Amino acid sequence: MRRSVPYLIGAGVLVLIAWRMLYLYSVNEAFNGAFFVGAAVRSLQLGSLYALIALGYTMVYGIIRLINFAHGEVFMVGAFVAFFLFSGTPYAWPVALVLAAVIAYGFLHFLGFFRVLGRPIVLGAALLAFATVAVALASVRFGWLGAMVGSMFVTGVLGMMIDRVAYKPLRGAPRNSMLITAIAVSFFLQNFGILAFTNRQTPFRPPSFFTGGLRFEIAGQTVFSTWMVVLVPAVTLLLVAVLTTLVTRTRLGRAMRATSQDAETARMMGVDVDKVIASTFLLGSMLAAAAAVMWGMSFGSINQPAIFGILPGIKAFAAAVIGGIGSLPGAVIGGVLLGFLENFLTALFPRVGSFTGITEYKDTFAFLAMILILLLRPSGIVGEDLSEKV
Amino acid sequence: MVGTPKFGPRGVMLRRLLNVAAVIALVVLLFFVQSSGSVKLGQVFALFAIWGIATVSLNLINGVTGILSLGHHGFMLIGGYVTGLLMLPESARDNLAFSARNSLSDFAIGLSVERWMNALGLEFLATPETLGVRFVVALILGGLLAAVFGLIVGFPSLRLRGDYLAVVTFAFGEVIRLLASTPIMASYTNGALGFAGVPSGFGKSVWWTFGALAITVFVLARLKKGSYGRALQGVREDEVAAEAMGVNIAYHKLLAFVISAFFAGVAGGLWVSWVGTARLDLFLFTLTFYFLVAISVGGTGSITGALIGTVLVVWVRQYGDPLEQAYPLSTWLVAGGVVLVVAALLGWLYRRGRRMQPAAHPIVVGAGVVGGLAALLALLGVFDAQLSSTWQGFGMRAIALSVLLVVIMIFKPAGIMGRREFEWTWLLRDRAEVPTDEERGQDAWLNKGQVEGPVPATEAGEE
Amino acid sequence: MLRIEAINKAFGGLQAITQLSLQVSEGEIVSVIGPNGAGKTTLFNLITGVYRPDSGEILFEGKRISGLKPNQIVDLGVARTFQNLRLFNNLSVLQNVLIAQHHRLRTTWFSSVLRTPGYMRQEREMHEVALEKLSFFGPRLMSFRLEQPVEVLSYANRRRTEMARAMATGARLLLLDEPSAGMNPRETTEITDIIRRMRDDGGYTIMLVEHKMSLVKDISDRVVVLDYGQKLAEGSYADVVNEPAVIEAYLGKRAQEQGAQLADEAVDL
Repeated sequence: MRRSVPYLIGAGVLVLIAWRMLYLYSVNEAFNGAFFVGAAVRSLQLGSLYALIALGYTMVYGIIRLINFAHGEVFMVGAFVAFFLFSGTPYAWPVALVLAAVIAYGFLHFLGFFRVLGRPIVLGAALLAFATVAVALASVRFGWLGAMVGSMFVTGVLGMMIDRVAYKPLRGAPRNSMLITAIAVSFFLQNFGILAFTNRQTPFRPPSFFTGGLRFEIAGQTVFSTWMVVLVPAVTLLLVAVLTTLVTRTRLGRAMRATSQDAETARMMGVDVDKVIASTFLLGSMLAAAAAVMWGMSFGSINQPAIFGILPGIKAFAAAVIGGIGSLPGAVIGGVLLGFLENFLTALFPRVGSFTGITEYKDTFAFLAMILILLLRPSGIVGEDLSEKV
Repeated sequence: MVGTPKFGPRGVMLRRLLNVAAVIALVVLLFFVQSSGSVKLGQVFALFAIWGIATVSLNLINGVTGILSLGHHGFMLIGGYVTGLLMLPESARDNLAFSARNSLSDFAIGLSVERWMNALGLEFLATPETLGVRFVVALILGGLLAAVFGLIVGFPSLRLRGDYLAVVTFAFGEVIRLLASTPIMASYTNGALGFAGVPSGFGKSVWWTFGALAITVFVLARLKKGSYGRALQGVREDEVAAEAMGVNIAYHKLLAFVISAFFAGVAGGLWVSWVGTARLDLFLFTLTFYFLVAISVGGTGSITGALIGTVLVVWVRQYGDPLEQAYPLSTWLVAGGVVLVVAALLGWLYRRGRRMQPAAHPIVVGAGVVGGLAALLALLGVFDAQLSSTWQGFGMRAIALSVLLVVIMIFKPAGIMGRREFEWTWLLRDRAEVPTDEERGQDAWLNKGQVEGPVPATEAGEE
Repeated sequence: MLRIEAINKAFGGLQAITQLSLQVSEGEIVSVIGPNGAGKTTLFNLITGVYRPDSGEILFEGKRISGLKPNQIVDLGVARTFQNLRLFNNLSVLQNVLIAQHHRLRTTWFSSVLRTPGYMRQEREMHEVALEKLSFFGPRLMSFRLEQPVEVLSYANRRRTEMARAMATGARLLLLDEPSAGMNPRETTEITDIIRRMRDDGGYTIMLVEHKMSLVKDISDRVVVLDYGQKLAEGSYADVVNEPAVIEAYLGKRAQEQGAQLADEAVDL
């Protein structure tokens, strides 16, 4: 009986939604199938982006029980790095070399996941990457994909650097100290962004087929959209699949799971905990960068550094909490759910007659949902309870 | 005095005298500030007092009760907007009512302490001479509404663990600002435009602001020292133990939130008056971040420390302008290089002092070499051709403060003061914590002898 | 004074306490012993409200206390110490003991700010009570230690502070969870003496969990043996240690067949 409760709730919610859709259609024929399908695909698009960012929060929390406040700002940096990659290339040689070195360093760490590769192969691959990337940076104009991959590695290295400089000296410190440090890092990155990048909203339009229009027919009515609604969920699915494989199939992934269970014991069992944590930051930041690039392409512009990371960051954290922090599937489910909560719910309560709609309030849904989840079911939808024992 | 049997019988008198002397000294100092003729100096002092109120009140939640709350700017926003709206002069109200872009509702237009005083038949309280009385009324009402929100935000603290709660309070601070510009609330807050023309004579006056600060410090210091403060500190130290010793955790946490939010609301009102307008961008997370820096630098849990930290933060904010101006890139390079070299030197000294191996850690050496090279090359003028363009140092103050916060958290998490408060005993070298020779002997004797019966309760402890 | 009626408590699939009934009368010293994992600390947690029993009732002086919050149970007159010391580490010895009396304060927070006469009188009384309770432990805690943060105290002194803190709550029933843990033999005799005086001079009723049989033997009026959450035996120390079931629980079946004596073997269990 108890087990069927979630399903009953889910079915009830679906019935309510269907009833609401029919009601809206009866009021105004503009709210037809195409309207809701359009809202649904946009929700999935936004939700996928949240899911990618939420994965970074949930991985770091799972490993070192830290809410990485700076993750939203890592996301911001990812967008700007990509921006400079597709709008500034080809670079002068010195810049290209330095940037290629950073990318190759991130790639080197990434290869660390695959223990099957011998050390010479890893070093060779990293060197090859360094050479290729350097040449590419100095000679070609980057498209969105190149900018995304490059930005993923640069941002991944940034994530590892943050961990090394700010968090690592605080292992074992009181949680509040770690949290305050994370806030300080986030504040640092915001202002560093203003200092180094820009302090105004920036158009983000890499040359790409996917930002072009897409139209398809649903029951005789046309849905207008861009190809991004296909690209974002597809790339997200791909990245999540890769991540799942890394975490479940590789040695380092196993070490990761062991560390998240009990870091101290893992250390005694010969796991290099510091390396595991660094890898976690690398992966989480890479996913955030990918999300950032697709975010920019989806909306055509990125906000100024001081505020760009805050809302997506804290909403993605809310998504991670909703799904159950510390759980990878939870982050994905929570992210997608939040996307629907924000976009589809707004579509269910549109501007009709004297009712002005709820668009202005949609930024608060994430927080309300998070607070409700925390109060009613702190372990989230699929998560396990990470609370401390008395 | 109860709780601190540190002075002899005559000590209480001495301490009271010292307290009075300190207050007189402060008043004299403020008088000089006021009469120095420097407008900026007076404003800096007033800002110190306003932010001091906010920091000391945040310290009650974060430092004394041990709950990391990041929504202080939200409480300030509420207090600030209430004060701003209630104090808005009639002329400004008319503008708001007739302007098409503004959306203040008729009800909100009517929210004015001046109109209430007239309606109550207290015309003498509606004259320009009694503006101060009305300001006090508005401040208190703002504080009270903020306290109500403190209660609301405090409720999750009963269920949530520390880091989750930090996010919830942070979300509160953001949500309150998002909500303030939505159609429903805009009829009270005037949306993103806010109110211009709030009387600024109070927020910029050192007497008003320091008066409010004095009340805040008085209330919170005595609260901390009394039984309730001890209970709050007990909650901080160990929640389970505090509850097992009969402390009602829920009540005390909410109490901390409500009192803290009240003073934050008052600080918000003064802050709006200092600026002269109530705008949403006055209440960004940046504010709470500054207070957090002040608390962490000064010493978490110490009121004295919070005030010391506030001095630093206000100094950086008000006198840090040179950091944010445009300089040639080569100048930035030299400055950055020197900072790196100094940091590397300090790091090396620290590691050597702690006997950490190796003292010359690769990161330390790397930072030193890179910084040194950059500074040297820039000084020699190698890049002058490429680096002649100027670069504006936007955000440098905030960067400096955030770096400082990370450094404090890593190297001296207790801050300058730790949890201690300033005591006159420090100056008089009458430290009760240091055992006398007699007591040491007694202790040594105890460890070989056996126990005696109960000691009369009057022997120790009284003044 | 305390009556426990057929309580049960399970954690997931693990039955920690099964159908346990127990009585403690006024002025008694009752020891609860049993092998590790027998449910002794769980029993204390149930009485003090940290956990809520799945079924059954706990009555204190005729009032039902199961289901109340820990601080409400303290209000009624039951206080405890912790096995792994839970003191307010950064606060002084005196402050630790004063916090325990906070729940009896009958003024608002604002009168503590204004220092009204009523508040000051209560504050003075709290100090007197604190010093009185601390003086049970002789000059060990009464000297300059009063102002020292608990952090710097020795382990034994922290245990003493915790006991003084529990007494200061105004409780009449004290639950002591391993009061002699971490103490050397001389300190153990001393604490034995103090516990007895707490009953004789202080008028407290005491329930304690202990592993040191010498202490249990010296002061217990009654001993309750727990094993796997069930009451194995109850009675005077001499009766209980000769009970075959108890010897089996502690030392195993073979030892019992060989006629081992618990009193000799299990001194430092």
